[in-house]
Amino acid sequence: MEQDRNLDIILKCENVSKKFQTKHRTKEVIGNINLEVRKNEFVVLFGPGQCGKTTMLNILSGLEKTTTGKVFLNDREVVEPGPDRGVVFQSISLYPWLTVMGNVEYGPKVRGINKKVRKEKAEYYIELVGLKGFENSYPNQISGGMKQRVGIARAYCNEPDVLFMDEPFSALDAQTRYLMQEEIMRIWEKEKRTVIFVTNNIEEALYLADRIILFTNCPTQIKKEYVIDLPRPRDYTSDDFLKLREEITENMAHTL
Amino acid sequence: MIKNKTGRIFEIIFYPLVSILIFLIIWDVGVKNSELSVVMPGPWEVVSKFIQSFAVPIGKYTMVYHILYSLMRVVPAYIVGSLAGIILGILMGWYPVINRILRPLYELIRPIPPIAWIPISIVWFGIGEGSKWFLIFLAAFVPITLNAYAGATTVDETLIKCSKMLGASDGQVFKTVVLPYSVPHIFTGLQVGLSTSWATVVAAEMIRSTEGVGWIIISSMDTNNVVQSLVGIMGIGVVGFILAIVMRKIEEVLCRWNRIET
Repeated sequence: MEQDRNLDIILKCENVSKKFQTKHRTKEVIGNINLEVRKNEFVVLFGPGQCGKTTMLNILSGLEKTTTGKVFLNDREVVEPGPDRGVVFQSISLYPWLTVMGNVEYGPKVRGINKKVRKEKAEYYIELVGLKGFENSYPNQISGGMKQRVGIARAYCNEPDVLFMDEPFSALDAQTRYLMQEEIMRIWEKEKRTVIFVTNNIEEALYLADRIILFTNCPTQIKKEYVIDLPRPRDYTSDDFLKLREEITENMAHTL
Repeated sequence: MIKNKTGRIFEIIFYPLVSILIFLIIWDVGVKNSELSVVMPGPWEVVSKFIQSFAVPIGKYTMVYHILYSLMRVVPAYIVGSLAGIILGILMGWYPVINRILRPLYELIRPIPPIAWIPISIVWFGIGEGSKWFLIFLAAFVPITLNAYAGATTVDETLIKCSKMLGASDGQVFKTVVLPYSVPHIFTGLQVGLSTSWATVVAAEMIRSTEGVGWIIISSMDTNNVVQSLVGIMGIGVVGFILAIVMRKIEEVLCRWNRIET
C-alpha cells in the first residue's frame, strides 16, 4: 500500500469558490476550497445530495470556470477542458453512432494518434474493463453496467493524468452497482491512476477511497477529511468498515 | 424482437397486399352499389388502365417516360434543395448568430406554399424546366432546413463536453458530434421533403408541359377523363411510395445505430 502512494502532488486547488449569478440574486455554491491530491490517489468527494460536488468536479476538470481561486494540474493552471483529464459522466453519454471500439478510441483518434497504436490501446482497455467480444456492439445493444464500463475504458484510453468520475454508478441497479465498485477497484489496482470520484453513497465511498473528503451543504466547503487505510478488497460488513460508516454518516447529518 | 425470415417476408409483403386489396374491394363495392358510378370508375378499370399505360401511351409517352420526366424534374431540384436545407439548418442550429440573422427570413418564407410561387417563378425562370426546378427546390428546402435545425439544436450537451474533455477541437466536435447527432433528424426532413417535392411536381407541371405524371392529371382536366386522372394519381402514389421506401432503406443503413432494438 504505502509504496504505491507516491507523495507527488499532482492536482492542487487553491481558494476555489464558485458563485452563480441569477437574475435576482447570487448563489454561492462553493466556498473557498483548498485541496491537494497525490499521484495515484483515489479520492472520494462525498457529501449530501444537492451540494456542489458536481460543480466542484466540473471546476477541477476545466468544464466550468472558478469565480475565485485556481486549479493546477502538474503545476499548470486548468482553464479549459483538455485531454490530460478524463471524465466519466453520470449520464454515461456514449456516442450512440459509434461502436464500443469507436467510443473507446475516440480520444486518441481526435488527438491524431495513428490507427494501429490507438486500436491496440483501445483493445487493451476494452479487455481491461471486461468487454472483450463486444468491440463491434453499439451502445444501445448493451446493458447499463456495460455502457458504464465503456465510459470508463473511453476515459482510460486517453491516458489522462487524472480521472474524474461523477456518480458513475448512480443510474445502475444495486446489484450491478456493487459489481461495478469491485470492478473499478480491480481496474484501478491494475492500471493505477489518480481518481477523483464523486458519490453520495457512503458504502461506495468507503469501499473505494484512499481518502474521503466530506463536503458540507451549499455553499460547499470541506467539513472533514478521512484517510481510509482499511485493507483492500474491503468488506462491507467488517467492524472497522461499519464504524467508519457510522462516524461519517453522523458527521454528514450535522451538515444538513 | 427476433423473427424468422419467412415470418418477416410474410409481414412485409402479405399485410400491405391485404390492406390494398381490401381498399380496392371497398371501392369496387361502393361504386357498384351506388350512384357514385356516374362520376367514379371502378377500381379494376383504373388498375388495368394503369397497367396498360406502361405499354399504351397517354399523350405522347407511356407511363415509364412520364415518370422519368417527372423524376428528372424532382430529383435534381430535390438534391440541391436538400443540400441547401441541411447546410442552412445545421448552421442555424449550431451558430446562434447565423440563426439570429437568417431565422426571420426563413420564417417568412416557410409558410408560403410552393404553388404560391408559380407566377413569380415563371417570370424569373420562364415556362421551361427552370421554374419547375425552382418550385420543387422550395418544396424540399423548407422542411429539410427545419429538421436539420432541430437536429443541431438538440445535440446532447454532455456529448459535447465529453468530446472536449477527450481533446476534440471545435471543428472536430462539429464533425464528430453535431453532424452524426443530426443525421436522424435530417432523414426525417429528407422524407418529408421528398414527399412534398414529389407532390409539388403536379403543380409544377401545371405551368406548361407535355409530359410527366402531373401532366397526365392536368390534361385529364381538359378532356374530362376521370379514368386518366385516377391513373395519374395512381402513378404519383406508386412512385412516391417507392421513393419513400428507397429513402427509408438508405436511412436504415446510415442510422443503423439509431434503429437497433435493445
